[in-house]
Amino acid sequence: MNSLLTSAVAGLSAGGAYAILGVCAIFNYRLVAVVNFTGAAIGAAGTFVMVALYEAGFPLAVDVVAGVAAGALAATLIGLVMTTWFAGSSASTKAAVTAALLVGIIAVGLRLTGGQHPHNFPEIVAGSAFRLAGVEVTRASVLTIAISVLFTVLTEMFLARTRMGLQLRALSQRPMAAELIGIRVKLLALCVWAVMGAVTSFALMVIAPLRSPDFMSISLLVVPALAAALIGAFTSFRAALVGGLMIGVIEGLASGLDAFSQYRGAIPFVVILAVLLWSQRGARWDEAR
Amino acid sequence: MTLLEVKGLIVNRSGVPVVRGIDLVARSGEISVVLGSNGAGKTTTLEGLSGIIPASGEIVLDNASIAGASAGKRARAGLRHVEQGRTVFPEMTTEENLKVALHPDASLGEAYELFPELVQRRDVKAGMLSGGEQQMLVIARALVGRPKVIMVDEMSSGLAPVVVNRLMSGVRKLADGGMAVVLVEQFATLALGIGDRAYVLRRGQVVYDGGCAELARDPKRLHHLYLGDSVQAG
Ligand SMILES: Nc1ncnc2c1ncn2[C@@H]1O[C@H](COP(=O)(O)OP(=O)(O)OP(=O)(O)O)[C@@H](O)[C@H]1O
Ligand SMILES: [Mg+2]
Repeated sequence: MNSLLTSAVAGLSAGGAYAILGVCAIFNYRLVAVVNFTGAAIGAAGTFVMVALYEAGFPLAVDVVAGVAAGALAATLIGLVMTTWFAGSSASTKAAVTAALLVGIIAVGLRLTGGQHPHNFPEIVAGSAFRLAGVEVTRASVLTIAISVLFTVLTEMFLARTRMGLQLRALSQRPMAAELIGIRVKLLALCVWAVMGAVTSFALMVIAPLRSPDFMSISLLVVPALAAALIGAFTSFRAALVGGLMIGVIEGLASGLDAFSQYRGAIPFVVILAVLLWSQRGARWDEAR
Repeated sequence: MTLLEVKGLIVNRSGVPVVRGIDLVARSGEISVVLGSNGAGKTTTLEGLSGIIPASGEIVLDNASIAGASAGKRARAGLRHVEQGRTVFPEMTTEENLKVALHPDASLGEAYELFPELVQRRDVKAGMLSGGEQQMLVIARALVGRPKVIMVDEMSSGLAPVVVNRLMSGVRKLADGGMAVVLVEQFATLALGIGDRAYVLRRGQVVYDGGCAELARDPKRLHHLYLGDSVQAG
């Protein structure tokens, strides 16, 4: 029993990463109507820029700022592709485009970062925050959870209270009507992408040393991220936050059980399937009536 | 004063020319009514003018050409297109719908003065408003952007006559305040009653360009303009 609790707590650190990525995925979907498969890959790009600078001997603070900026820039470029050529496309086309971009980014990223070649990952926040159920809870995981909570709260406040937030909501509800009243639609969308890129990059820098830190593994964190977003029905930041943590904890639990530990990577898929079946159930029921 | 001058407007849809060389002017203080039967090209004309779909021809807004500009730029230059179908932002309240469009020099009071009905509904989500209220909202939303020219597409469709009268008098007020209004309607009588200048479109071309009053006095001619030669026998 106690060892299970230990495994669950250990899963929190991954859960923090899933939560922030899930929240960012919803940010992306709600504000610019793109189910974005490239979120984690953008963060990976930012993270590896940071690592490259670190390995070149620059001070850590400079590396982090440059990495965050690089993530914002990479996201803006993808935003530019999406707003220039796919603004009028359907949601599924846009999702497919980002999935294709993901494959491209991973290929280029692996090439530039030397595949599985080990890198010297600096710990941005080192050490343990406290012990829970006999496990060290790292500062890094506390920080990612804090970032996801903060980002959720700030985004909700921003959307409700500021003029730019109002414009973003208008844009997300009716892009054409927003453009026709003179809102700077493209500029706003690019800002959303940039913010998403910056936040994701920072979160992944914090979490990377705790994971297998190669470009591909980090980029594929998009799977649990989208599972978390799905739990929030791509609308609720809070549900995605809780969902992300939950997936992490379930993964932790599974790795504590011998029979399951080999399959813990499949858990996000199981969650995705379960959520989709659950939502289908409602639709079928409506149809049957 | 001429605020919008259009010459030789051509708009294609799926490669087919739908608007075929239209000339049109809208003057400050006037309502230009654009009439025509289903599929005549009225909506396509407005969409070409506001930049929703590409168009060729001259479009001059207050002495500046806007023909090459994006929809957003045209809007910021002072052209408002109120689309058919009451495109409110449904998840935002009435007041938020107005605020998001508010020009720095304008005030929400102007919107509520035009349509006092909206005051009571200010905190209601726009998606929950009645059709008439939504139509008032999209017109008021255009007004608070301080445009020079406002183009309204089919504002009366599906609404009760009382509501339509209410909207028509609102639009008249906008023109009286100095704006140039382009009013697209399928049902002519009311529009001709409040309008100054009329255009009748048929198959993408202007077949009448003249006074509203003249046309209103001659229903037979209007009928003929709408339907063309094809039904002369009837
Ligand atoms: N996407 C499209 N592709 C091809 N043709 C189109 C398209 N949309 C509209 N059309 C055609 O363009 C013509 C003009 O349509 P438009 O909507 O401008 O007419 P309208 O005068 O606004 O009619 P209504 O009174 O029904 O609103 C019609 O013949 C229509 O069939
Ligand atoms: Mg129409």
